[in-house]
Amino acid sequence: MDGLYIGSFAHALGARRRHLRESAAAGLLQSAPEDLEAAGFRWHHVCEPGGTAYELAHAAVAEIAAGGGLTDIDAIVYATCLPGETGAGPVRDVKDLMDFPAGRLQAEFGLSRAIVVGLHQQACTGAIGALRLAGALLTTEPAWRRVLCVTADRFPEGAWYEQAYNLISDGAAACVVGRDPDVCRLLTVHQITNGGLGRAGDDETVGTYFAYTHRLVREAAARAGLTPADLDWVVTQNTHEKAWQILARLLDVDHARIWAPTLADVGHVISADAFVNLSALLGSGQARPGQRIALPMAGFGLNWQCAVLEVAR
Amino acid sequence: MTTLITGADGYLGRRIAAALRGEDLVLAVRCADQAELDRKRARLADVADAPVVPVDLRDADPFAQVDPRRITRIVHAAAVIRFDVSRDTAERVNVAGTARVREFAHRCDRLDRLMLLSTLYSAGRRRGQVGETRHDDIGFVNHYEWSKWAAEECLLDRPELPVSVVRLPTLIAEDAAGDVAQYNAFHHTMRLYYSGLLTLLPGDPATPLSLASAAFTVDAVTALLAAPTGIYQVCPGPVTLGAAIDTAFAVFEQDPGFRRRMLPRPVPCDPASFRDLAQAAQRLRGGPLQPALASVTPFAEQLYLPKHFTTDRLRAAWPGYRTQDAAALVAAACTDLIERSFRVPTA
Ligand SMILES: NC(=O)c1ccc[n+]([C@@H]2O[C@H](COP(=O)([O-])OP(=O)(O)OC[C@H]3O[C@@H](n4cnc5c(N)ncnc54)[C@H](OP(=O)(O)O)[C@@H]3O)[C@@H](O)[C@H]2O)c1
Repeated sequence: MDGLYIGSFAHALGARRRHLRESAAAGLLQSAPEDLEAAGFRWHHVCEPGGTAYELAHAAVAEIAAGGGLTDIDAIVYATCLPGETGAGPVRDVKDLMDFPAGRLQAEFGLSRAIVVGLHQQACTGAIGALRLAGALLTTEPAWRRVLCVTADRFPEGAWYEQAYNLISDGAAACVVGRDPDVCRLLTVHQITNGGLGRAGDDETVGTYFAYTHRLVREAAARAGLTPADLDWVVTQNTHEKAWQILARLLDVDHARIWAPTLADVGHVISADAFVNLSALLGSGQARPGQRIALPMAGFGLNWQCAVLEVAR
Repeated sequence: MTTLITGADGYLGRRIAAALRGEDLVLAVRCADQAELDRKRARLADVADAPVVPVDLRDADPFAQVDPRRITRIVHAAAVIRFDVSRDTAERVNVAGTARVREFAHRCDRLDRLMLLSTLYSAGRRRGQVGETRHDDIGFVNHYEWSKWAAEECLLDRPELPVSVVRLPTLIAEDAAGDVAQYNAFHHTMRLYYSGLLTLLPGDPATPLSLASAAFTVDAVTALLAAPTGIYQVCPGPVTLGAAIDTAFAVFEQDPGFRRRMLPRPVPCDPASFRDLAQAAQRLRGGPLQPALASVTPFAEQLYLPKHFTTDRLRAAWPGYRTQDAAALVAAACTDLIERSFRVPTA
C-alpha cells in the first residue's frame, strides 16, 4: 500500500449513554453485570427508539464534512454487520429488502462522482476491510484520489446489547483513505477468515481469539516489514481488559503500548471502537511522527483483520 | 497371603484387584450407606470373588470391620485425586487417611508390604532430575500434590513398616489400544483443543510428560508388590508437551469435522497469561470452558517445571519393564476420544 494515507477520523455514538447495570435491569444483557464490570465495561451508548445506523453513519460523515475532509471522494466503502432489517410479513417486491445507505450518503453529501461499495460479511472487522478495499480501489484506479470509509451498526430494539461477552454500543466511524499526505500512512492491511467457525458460539469465539489474534498481529506486522515488538502502539477493540494483558505477553509487546482508553465509557462498538480508540490516541498527542500503530480487530464469521499505520504528522 | 486394597472400586483399585484375581483379597470401599455399599459390591463382583468392606478414611477407626491378623499386604489406592481438591479435603482423606492406614498396618502382625500409590508429582516444584528418593518440601502447585507428598512422608517416616511408595505417571488410556475410561486434566485439555475452546498452551513445549496406560501401571504395581520395599518411579518413557500436542493435532486433523473448522494449534503462553485466562473464564456464564479449565489450571504450572524422573530402582526391580511409546499412546487415546466422546456438529 505504497503512498496511501488515512485521516479525517470521525465517529458517532448512540445518543443515550446508559450504565450497564441499567441495561442489565432492562434484560438487555446476557452476562451478570458484575461479570461485565470485571472485564472493564461500565457504560454504553444506545440509539433512541427509532434511531438508525444510517443516522449514526451520517453523523460521523457530517463531522468529516464540517472539517472540510469530504472533497474529491471517488468511492464510498460502507461496512456493516447488520445490513438492513427485513420488514415483517411476506415480500412481494424484493427491492423492499434492499438498502442503500452508502448511496444515501453520496446523495446527502453531494459526492456525485463517488461510486459505492457495501461490505457486510466481515462482522466487527468490517472497518478494516473497508480500508483494504479503499487501498485496492486506489491501486486499480490511478485517477482516483480519495475513498470515504464508513462503518455503522445499530442493534435492533429488544436485542441483547452483548456479544461474545462484550458490552455493545450503537455507533459509527468514518475516515478517508487517499493519496495526499494525511494524519497517518496506511502501511498494510491483513485479514484471516475461518469460515469453518462461521457459526462459532461465544465460548469458541473467545477460545480461538488468542491464537488467531496472535497470528494476525504477527503476520500484519511482517507485511509491513516489522515484528510485533517494533510496534509503537496496538490500538484495540474494547474487549475484556485481561485479553490484551495476555496478548501483549504473547506478542512481546509492552502492555503500556496497548491502547483502549474508552473501554469503560464506550464498550464495543462493533467495528467502530478501535477507531474511537485511535482518535483518542491521536488526540492525546502521545503518538509521534514515525511511530507505527497496529489496529487489530476480531469478528464473527470468524474474521480477523489488522491495519498497520505510521503516524505522518 | 491376603491383600487389602483401599479405594478398590476406583479406577486403579479395580484394575489391581482384577490383576490379583485368584489371590485372597479384601476390597475396601468408601460408601455413605448400605445402598451404596450394595451397589459397589455388585460392581466389584465381576472383578474378584472377595469380601467388600466399607472403609471411609475420614472415620476415626475406618478399618473396624477388617481383621488385621489376616492382612499380609496393603495396597493403599484410596485418595481424592482431583487437582482442584481443597486443602482441607486433601488433608483429611489423603494425609490423615494415610495415617489411619499406617495405624492399621501397625496392627497387622503378619504384614509383608504396605504399598502407597503416589504420584510422580509428589516432587512438587522441583525441576531437573528427580530421583527415587524422599523429597523435601520445596513447594507444590496444588493441594493434591502436597497431600501425596505428605502421605509419602507419613509412611516413610516409619522404617519399621515394610513400605513401598510407588509414584505413578498420568494415566490416559486403558492400554496401548487407547480406550479411555477415566477423564483427567489430559482429556479435559484435549477436549478444549478439539472443540476450539482453548488456543493457549500452558507450559513449555520442551517439558517432558509421563503419560501411561493403566495396563502398564497395573503391571508395575503387581510386579513391585514382590520387589524390595522403597521408592519407585513408574515412568514409562517421556514425551514432550510439544510433541504430545503435535501428535494430538495430527490425530484431530484426520477428523473431517475438525478439519472443516480449521482450528489452530495452541500458542505456548507464560504462567501469568494462563492464570489470567483461567481467572477471566470464571466469569463466562455457564459455558463448558470454565469447568474444564478448573481441572487443568491447578496442574498447569507443572508444565513449566520440566522434570526427568530416574527409574533405576524400578527397572532393577521389574524385569518386565519396557519403555513405552508415549506419543503412540497419545495418538491412540485421542483417536478414541474423537470416536467415543468428542462430538461437535459439523454444520
Ligand atoms: N489415575 C491416575 O492417573 C493416577 C496418577 C498418579 C497417581 N494416582 C494415584 O493412584 C491412586 C488411585 O487413583 P485412581 O485413578 O484409581 O483414583 P480414583 O478412581 O478416583 O479412585 C480413588 C478411590 O479412592 C476412594 N476414596 C475417596 N475418598 C475416600 C475416603 N474418604 N475413604 C475411602 N476411600 C476413598 C474413591 O471412592 P469414591 O470414588 O467412592 O469416593 C475411589 O474408590 C490414588 O492414590 C492416586 O493418587 C493415580
